[in-house]
Amino acid sequence: MHELRPWLRLIFRHRGGLVLGATLILATLLCGIALLAVSGWFLTETAVVGLALAAGLQATINLYVPGGAIRFFAVARTVFRYLERVYNHNLVLQLLTDIRVALFDRLAGAGHRHRGEKSGAQWLSRLTADVDALDTLYLRLIAPTALAGAITLLIAGLAWLLFSGTVALVVLVILLAGLLVATLAVLRGTRRLSSRLSDQQEALRGEVIEHIEGYAELTAAGRINEHAGHLLAEAGSLSRAQACIDARVGWHNALSTLLVNLSAVVALWLGFSLFEDGAISGPVLALLPIALLGLGEVYGMLPEAFGKYGATEAAAARLNQDGGSRGAPVASPTGAERHEAAAGQPLTLTNASIGHPGHPPLLAGFSLTLAPGKTLGVIGESGTGKSSFADTLAGVVPLLAGELTVPPCAYLTQGTVVFEDTVKANLLLGNPSATDTELWRVLDMLELADRFTREPDGLNNWLGSGGNRLSGGEARRLVLARVLLSRAPLVILDEPFTGVDAETRQRIAPRVQRHLEGRTLVCLGHAPEALLATERTLHLD
Amino acid sequence: MVAGSLAGLATIGQMVLLAWIIHQGVIEEQPASLLIPAFLGLLAALLLRAVFQGLQTRFAARASGQVRRQAREQLRNHWQSQGPVALADASAASLTREWLDHVEALHGYFARFLPQMTLSLIVPLLILALVFWLDWLAGLFLLLSAPLIPLFMALVGMGAEKVNQQHFEVVSRLSGQFLDKIRGLTTLQLFGQTDSARETLRKRSDQYRRVTMKTLKVAFLSSAVLEFFSSVAIAVIAIYVGFGLLGYIDYGPSDQLTLFSGLLVLLLAPEFFQPLRTLSQYYHDRASAMGAAAEILGRLNDTGETPSPTDRRLGRVSKNMIDLQGISVRYGDKDNRPVLEQVDLTLPRGYSVALTGPTGSGKSSLLHVMAGFLVPASGVATVFGEAPGAKPFGWLGQKGFWIQGTWADNLRLTSPDASDEAIRQALGQVGLDQLVAGREQGINSPLSESGQGLSGGQARRLSLARIFLADYDLILLDEPTAGLDANSEQQVINALKALHAKGKTLVFSTHHSALLSLADRVLVVENREVRDA
Repeated sequence: MHELRPWLRLIFRHRGGLVLGATLILATLLCGIALLAVSGWFLTETAVVGLALAAGLQATINLYVPGGAIRFFAVARTVFRYLERVYNHNLVLQLLTDIRVALFDRLAGAGHRHRGEKSGAQWLSRLTADVDALDTLYLRLIAPTALAGAITLLIAGLAWLLFSGTVALVVLVILLAGLLVATLAVLRGTRRLSSRLSDQQEALRGEVIEHIEGYAELTAAGRINEHAGHLLAEAGSLSRAQACIDARVGWHNALSTLLVNLSAVVALWLGFSLFEDGAISGPVLALLPIALLGLGEVYGMLPEAFGKYGATEAAAARLNQDGGSRGAPVASPTGAERHEAAAGQPLTLTNASIGHPGHPPLLAGFSLTLAPGKTLGVIGESGTGKSSFADTLAGVVPLLAGELTVPPCAYLTQGTVVFEDTVKANLLLGNPSATDTELWRVLDMLELADRFTREPDGLNNWLGSGGNRLSGGEARRLVLARVLLSRAPLVILDEPFTGVDAETRQRIAPRVQRHLEGRTLVCLGHAPEALLATERTLHLD
Repeated sequence: MVAGSLAGLATIGQMVLLAWIIHQGVIEEQPASLLIPAFLGLLAALLLRAVFQGLQTRFAARASGQVRRQAREQLRNHWQSQGPVALADASAASLTREWLDHVEALHGYFARFLPQMTLSLIVPLLILALVFWLDWLAGLFLLLSAPLIPLFMALVGMGAEKVNQQHFEVVSRLSGQFLDKIRGLTTLQLFGQTDSARETLRKRSDQYRRVTMKTLKVAFLSSAVLEFFSSVAIAVIAIYVGFGLLGYIDYGPSDQLTLFSGLLVLLLAPEFFQPLRTLSQYYHDRASAMGAAAEILGRLNDTGETPSPTDRRLGRVSKNMIDLQGISVRYGDKDNRPVLEQVDLTLPRGYSVALTGPTGSGKSSLLHVMAGFLVPASGVATVFGEAPGAKPFGWLGQKGFWIQGTWADNLRLTSPDASDEAIRQALGQVGLDQLVAGREQGINSPLSESGQGLSGGQARRLSLARIFLADYDLILLDEPTAGLDANSEQQVINALKALHAKGKTLVFSTHHSALLSLADRVLVVENREVRDA
């Protein structure tokens, strides 16, 4: 339960909406039950009166009130049903938006390192499925359970009012048993299975993604069929597990329906003795069992939702882990200070330790001063802390110890991140106020302008998932263009030319150099030829 | 379905007994003690109903297993026929979603909607027959309202289906964008664009909600129509029977009405509509199955530019040559300019061959043809006397590939029977042995112990270790040293040298001078041709 708590809090923020939505459902259900109950009462009443009239006795019946009530409930049920459906689904989609945005915020706050722990597609694909799983919470679980409880009490109250306290108590006990079967018993029978199934499904998802990512290698090795066969077998066994859960839910559903019907029979049986004593009239005797039959519909919604509870909980647990609900944003460790440099102030690093929190530092006791407009090259193999150095300057990872004063910067990370959006949207990230002319100028500088003038949409050309319509070198130059558009006084470029062929690199590097003139530059790479020319060069070992 | 029909019968029995008991008690004023058998019968009907209801879901749960398995197999065969190159165009996440989630969405349709469709015919017909027998006028009411329901549902459903398909596309595009934002979160933060990205996310999610609500407003009309008809039918019957019982109606069969028949008709009226209402609840199952099926079929029909394999006849067959004759490769439409045109090339076994040339000149395409990942638009390729890809070979793409699991798992992925010692040696060949030796359980420790995964260079070396382990004759490598640090680069070059020394045939694309020195033959791929440097 505690895994669901943060999400429940999010949902209950819409308290007003939830109450209104639940009220609409309640109105729908009550109208349905009332329609049947009043009709049953009316029939019995007319039958009794009809017999009396036929026997020539004096009898009267008010036709207008029950007739009107029947018509009212018939129409109201339809109207409420439609309103309820539309209103609640709209609410659910609003909740889903909230959940996505909240999750985005949490992930944004969880710090870079935490996100790096999961492999891309795998984690992302799981995230979607888990977020979708949370939609069962309100409409399928919370609202119906609350309403079933409320209606059960209402009907027990009705039984007390019309019949007697004993009848009400007996009916209530049977109904509560039915409610338990439809909710807690289902939960008990499926929770673990369903949560394990959900975890296994996610493991399979990971394997399927691996299968696709490794498709070329597995095909080449002649292993693709075995691997696929394994996945198919796995999917089959999950289907069987799902069928097992479905069957359990089905039996619980049947049992709870049985109990609801039983309560109707018992109410009828007990009502008979009251009727024979003259404590209640015939029409009233008919009313209660028929109303009880209507409860079947209310209870029928519950077992399936509770059968999915385990999976929902597992999804919430995974999301909680992702969002780092256990860890606040990575704060700078004590003893480390980071300041924003004022305009004209140099970049200074004093006695700094650099690395990943919780691991031994990659660089320690490191000091550096870089005056505005100066350029610095950093050469090092992977594992020497080159990228951690860049990450620390840019503030992606915290400084472990020491002091850092750094001006606002534009940072080209080692990984190439192209968003599934237009060329323009991708570039404007670097500088939201850049004009189209500026965008074209930078693209031209990096020899990308031709690439997009050929496309019919120009700057509005849609880049596919992860920019897969671009070659590696093109994607790299595009993200470089994004950084170059920024007007930040400090520019950090980590391996700016990955995947760009040597000739192109030799043509564009001097232009980039000229473009950045006057700005502070830190350029990192695995070898001198991967860098822009710099005044100073550091070698990391 | 039989179970469902029997459950329906038991329900009818339940209602008959209930109405009879009330009639006997209220009108005939029978004492309760005489009604005990009827009560017992009622309990039996309830029990039977529950048993059949339970059996029904039990069968339904197992119903669609076969269908789902077939769908998964077909998708997989499709991947196979598309090959790794075309597959790389689609995102791994959406392919996975199709294979897992969309196929799963078919379940509701086959397990619930289809059986319910038959039930919604059988059970109402039974009820209708009974009601006609009790009172033909009331039966007529039901009969008149019934055909209107499928009519309305069909009308509404047709609209809903169209909107629904569009809705599915929007959903998958939007979830793609949500993921995209998350994937690039660090970049967004670096440019201080987290807030605007959040707003975009909210805006797009809202858009998604509006689009979906449009679908749902229509889709819910169908359930409202049903609700309306079933409510009105109950109301009409209640009022008709009531007036009939009072003797206010003096035509038709109403003077025959008793409380028993009247009440039974009333109790059966909702049951008459119940199967149809259940069906409309399952309409979402149908809609999402249809949406999912549309995507799956879309994938299956997306044959891309795979030409017919009929022109894959083998020409000159030499067991010791890679032989390309008149190879042309073209992406997309027929009107597009080919990337390679009429390339003839023979490479002897044991040779090490470098492909150079500007980006996008077709080096990768040439490798893909030799790998059999890409069927050329024209021409014939053979590798050591067989069709490309007929025998296992080594492939090193630009991205190294690793799975969650131990180092040994990763190597046994392609060589399942490799011994621990062989695995250690293979890792040694690519200079990963020290990294692994530092781990507590050696090759049996998880690959990403600190959760950090592998660097690009390490991942590529891991792939190379697999190639060492498996001992292939042919090894194809796409830019094996691009973007590597000096250490990884040196390790890769050493490894390639070792493979070459073992007499393996190597073909690799590269810009890297150190690698060119490794080649027996250097080819330039440029202007749609291949020539010696």
